[in-house]
Amino acid sequence: MTVAPYYIHRMIQAIHRDPEACAAFASDPAPYYARYGLDQRQIALLEDASVASMTELGVHPNLQMKYLRMRTPRPAAGESALPGPLDAYLDRLLEKRNG
Amino acid sequence: MGKLLGAICMPHVMFPPDGVEEAAERVFAGMMEIRRIVERLNPTLIVMAAGDHFNNFDLAVQIPIGVVVADEMTSLADAGLPSQVFPGHREFAEGFVRFASKHDFEIVQIEEVRPDHGIAFPKTVVDPAGHIPIVPVYLNAVIPVPPSPARCHRLGQVLKGYVEDCRPADEKVLVIGTGGLSHWLRVPGEGRIAEDFDSHVIAALIDGDSARIAALPSEEIIAASGNGGLEIISWLFAAAAAEGGFGRKVFYEPIPAWVTGMGAIELLHLSDPD
Repeated sequence: MTVAPYYIHRMIQAIHRDPEACAAFASDPAPYYARYGLDQRQIALLEDASVASMTELGVHPNLQMKYLRMRTPRPAAGESALPGPLDAYLDRLLEKRNG
Repeated sequence: MGKLLGAICMPHVMFPPDGVEEAAERVFAGMMEIRRIVERLNPTLIVMAAGDHFNNFDLAVQIPIGVVVADEMTSLADAGLPSQVFPGHREFAEGFVRFASKHDFEIVQIEEVRPDHGIAFPKTVVDPAGHIPIVPVYLNAVIPVPPSPARCHRLGQVLKGYVEDCRPADEKVLVIGTGGLSHWLRVPGEGRIAEDFDSHVIAALIDGDSARIAALPSEEIIAASGNGGLEIISWLFAAAAAEGGFGRKVFYEPIPAWVTGMGAIELLHLSDPD
């Protein structure tokens, strides 16, 4: 099993932790690829983002999920819930807390 | 001695019902059944084992096992959940870490953490009012060298000893293990569900034979149930803590659209919880 060089994982982790960096990355990832020293092949695999490409590059599955979210512009996280997989159940799930 | 009420093992997320409305509703009904079970048990404390999804701990510092000792914690707003404040239990948590240190476990104490959906969703299911103190036990299944199934199982036995030997008689502890069951996430084979393996795990745990699953190497569990399937180390922790409890399957739904075998069990000591 291939494991990506740590600088690729480090890039994803660092951007994921920083809402401003997430927004900047979503709008133009090229400066980040340059800053972390990715080569053209690595960039192409990341940009493709398929499971096959990510597996070839060796990106950790959980960091793939972060990377995929980083590519999409979204509001800052804050304390309010962002849209997510539990949306359809929230009213019933939180009923007693809110009531 | 404190009282171990038993354990519940359950998923820590759901996905949109689009196209799988009936199965999704059965899973949600199962979640509400778990809510009623916990309401009836009326625990004074919940110990909840789960993995972090690289929201607090990632490859920068890889923590196999950690216990949250904080007085309270504010959850991350993720998976669609709002941020919530959960009361912790410092005295129980620090005491558990010290007790475990006498039983060959050096556990990372965590003061600052924003629990993600791995904790926040099941906590919301079982305690919608948010009043029951919680001690999260992080068993991080997704790091390159995760804690072994046997080690997590053994730690559950240590927790049982701590509650029964060191805790006050009026303390009623429920242990919850979250995650799983089989799922292949962002790896070749994504979408597979290993129904046979899931059934095997559920049957072993409700039959009181969690040690048989705990004896499997991590690599074997991952091969059989996917990279996400190793989240059953949290189930093994909970099952070991509830050893001797009466086991019952609450629900199992293999949902291809969710790429996951969704299951839950209870392992309860049947005496009157009050």
